[in-house]
Amino acid sequence: MKRNGKAESISSDRRAFIKTAALCGGAISLAGIPLAGYFISPALKKGTGKWVDFGVAEDLTPGSIEMLSYEFMVKDGWQVLPQRGFVWAKTEAAGNIQIFSSTCTHLACNVIWREDEKIFECPCHSGRFDINGRPLAGPPTRPLSVLEHKIEDENLLVYLTF
Amino acid sequence: MDTLSEMLALGDIMARVKALRVPADALTWHRFSGSLLLVLLVLLFLSGAFMAFYYSPAPGAAYDSVDYALYSVPFGDVIKGVHHYGWNIFLIVLGLHLVRAFIVAAYKSPRQLIWVSGVLTLLLIPALIITGDLLPWDQNGFWTTQVRISIIASVPLVGDFMVRLIQGGPLTGIVALTRFYVLHILFLPALLIILIVIHFHFLKTRGLSEPLFKKGSQSKTISFFPQLINRWLLLFLAVTLVLGVLSWYWPAPLGDPADPTDSTFVPRPEWWVLSLNQLVTIFKGSLTVIGSVIIPGGLVVLLLALPFLDTSPDRHPARRKKVVLTAIVVAIILLGLSVMGYNEHFNGNVS
Repeated sequence: MKRNGKAESISSDRRAFIKTAALCGGAISLAGIPLAGYFISPALKKGTGKWVDFGVAEDLTPGSIEMLSYEFMVKDGWQVLPQRGFVWAKTEAAGNIQIFSSTCTHLACNVIWREDEKIFECPCHSGRFDINGRPLAGPPTRPLSVLEHKIEDENLLVYLTF
Repeated sequence: MDTLSEMLALGDIMARVKALRVPADALTWHRFSGSLLLVLLVLLFLSGAFMAFYYSPAPGAAYDSVDYALYSVPFGDVIKGVHHYGWNIFLIVLGLHLVRAFIVAAYKSPRQLIWVSGVLTLLLIPALIITGDLLPWDQNGFWTTQVRISIIASVPLVGDFMVRLIQGGPLTGIVALTRFYVLHILFLPALLIILIVIHFHFLKTRGLSEPLFKKGSQSKTISFFPQLINRWLLLFLAVTLVLGVLSWYWPAPLGDPADPTDSTFVPRPEWWVLSLNQLVTIFKGSLTVIGSVIIPGGLVVLLLALPFLDTSPDRHPARRKKVVLTAIVVAIILLGLSVMGYNEHFNGNVS
């Protein structure tokens, strides 16, 4: 042992290091993988959507923009809660309906229809959209999203994602 | 006393603590920001830990629990106020701490890593503020969180994933609130403590930067215990008194309960984020990434890399013209953006 002490101790140092490093790696992956999975898993789930019933489609007034409020139950983790909000329905003639999301394309505040100026306005940063949801002024550059809708048994159904 | 320390087998530690000497200017009238940060941090940890006794991290219950703690528990307003004013002042003093270190070039060799660990600590604070603001579940906290989350979501490629990761899903509901709570009271403070321990490790081994003008005063030392400890305790008493009185007269704000359907509530950005918020307002649409990622990220990289970019041994600001001028220009731009943001959000400039 003592004859070639230096070389011996370097290689035994290295062996000790590799041993500890391997044990460390094992401990980190053994404990880390389940923990990381536990924490990350909800982020990997894809968003879902749902057809929401807004009542009889013919109740909408042609030539107007109307706020349609919704409330449906959404499962958020271990809690089922009502999800509330509203969309904007633009009715040109009976049956010719467009549904706009109320979410401003800038920073997700809710836009409000202003009948006097015929614009959608976002109260947060004064973003403005025209009657077709196209951006007019302020920070937004993308139009309001148009939501998929259909009429089933005379009722207006809108596909909401969350 | 001797027998007690003998009984507790503390002799070695006591002797080492008693023998510990620190530079005489470790805590003085002209160098106190670090000690002040430590005072504020202790107060933040104490007030935060005790607020947890009366907090339920569930939408609805959260607001009621904070309201109860604030108005029905003795000293409730003081504890919440100390936390509220504490973090605001902490952020200001942290800024001054950094500016001072910059002006006297305390980041230069051999103290590069003191600077780097300090900047990393600074970067952790927004995460603590973002997770903390949601906890009361009031209108302001909820809607501010919505804005922040949509800014994070606008980051290309990873934005959506990051939002789902921090919220535990697409909604700002009970899962998100629980995550924010645990991050705020457990993981982020733990990270903060680790960074500060690293900061102190380098501070102890590399020493305090020498004063720019008075050479040689570094050799004077005082005892860690009791001299430095006594100065720090005096500072602690003064700060606690000031924050306590402040909170007593002007209680911390608590708005109306969060209402996710309310479209009339306009969240206003907090003072510290006005400049960054304005960047996001300026760079719209496909350019958002410039304001939300590239510019802030670039500034962070510059700040972290500063000790390795400015390597000359000169410490006097007049002999570091390039670096100082760059910093002044950046500071003026950030201040200008903040003023623009302030006018837009607080002066009724919203048409």
